[in-house]
Amino acid sequence: MLPTLPLGPFIFPTAGLVIIFGAWFCLWVIEKAALRLQLDAQATYTLAVVGLFAGFLGARLAFVALHWPAYQQNLIGILWPLTSGYAPLGGLATGIVAAFFYGRARQLPFAATLDALTPGLILGLMVISLADFLGGPGYGTLTAVPWGLSQYGVRRHPVQLYELLAGALTLLVWWRLVRGRRYDGQLFLTAVAVYSATRLFLDAFRDNTWIITNGYHGWQLVAFAALLLSLLLLARHDGNQ
Amino acid sequence: MLRTRFEWVILIIVATLLGSAWIMMSQEPATAGSSLLTLAEAPIVGHPAPNFTLPGTVGQEVSLHDLAGQPVVLNFWATWCAPCRVEMPAFQQASVQYNGRAAIIGINQGEAAKNVTDFGAEYRITYPLLLDTDQQISRLYEVRGLPTTLFIDADGVVREVVIGAITPAVLQDRIERLLAEAGNP
Repeated sequence: MLPTLPLGPFIFPTAGLVIIFGAWFCLWVIEKAALRLQLDAQATYTLAVVGLFAGFLGARLAFVALHWPAYQQNLIGILWPLTSGYAPLGGLATGIVAAFFYGRARQLPFAATLDALTPGLILGLMVISLADFLGGPGYGTLTAVPWGLSQYGVRRHPVQLYELLAGALTLLVWWRLVRGRRYDGQLFLTAVAVYSATRLFLDAFRDNTWIITNGYHGWQLVAFAALLLSLLLLARHDGNQ
Repeated sequence: MLRTRFEWVILIIVATLLGSAWIMMSQEPATAGSSLLTLAEAPIVGHPAPNFTLPGTVGQEVSLHDLAGQPVVLNFWATWCAPCRVEMPAFQQASVQYNGRAAIIGINQGEAAKNVTDFGAEYRITYPLLLDTDQQISRLYEVRGLPTTLFIDADGVVREVVIGAITPAVLQDRIERLLAEAGNP
């Protein structure tokens, strides 16, 4: 929709700008959520920063490791340009491990900290959807619905906007559940269940999604597994109460 | 909130049944690729890349349709663009490495043929440098900043648009992915 944003003589990639400002906003929200849950806001905020930066570095280093022959002759290329060349799964793993060990070192309560991180994580997913909508490669399936977006002669489901609504619904559920929560981790598990259920439904409307064998949508299977696991854990916790 | 174990069991069973049914209904048919026929040519991911024919620096004309059947990397550039100069050796290296399996095409934006020829000689570029003198193809591809690189798969579909300089590793990663998908790794 808007892949670049001209500001004076400069042209910026919109998706990159959205992700940078979105990351800052997510960190701010995590700090506020920690305060609301009466946790150590400073430590929770730092944990999120550690996870974010470790994820960024991990994604880059994983990409470099996967393509070492190309970097071997050009070591400066590891640092420049930083605008492309990341392995998302490597970043995700590194970010989670770094945040986990930082939390252990600071003796943060695991489940309660996850509750505080939840709105930031959901917002992060919303930021990715917004960046994808404005300047990313994603697009919805063909449709005739009146709210479909017309682009190059065809009308498509605005699937990233649906994902934004799914994130907003999850945040609303988190917000409504804060006062009535009965155990640590309930907010996180509930948010995972709600968001997974919505993404399981919505991925059917994404045209260039991850397809695995036999035509199944890979992200639907991931969302389905996350939904069932979160429901089982919620049921087990409720049984223990 | 759910109170009893029975209610949780019902919820999990319902979620399992509905989820499974929805996954089955969303399954892509084996002939999903035929939906491409309904899409118009456009310089965005998922659409067939707009065709063009441009003259090169040595007089030859190159048409995108002539390159069908192999991945194509379209690099929009200009001699005055510093990041373009930085990434040029990577494109040259890729053009040698993937010679005959993937096509690397440089499209110069609006400069005189002599400037482009001199530049190509200075940088020892051997892949086609095409002349978009009136910038008609840049407009067709909605190029908003230089360098801009499009990765087009063997079916002629735009798979990625990268604005800004890219590293040799990224270039190699994307080309090899397209080659693997085309069954020509």
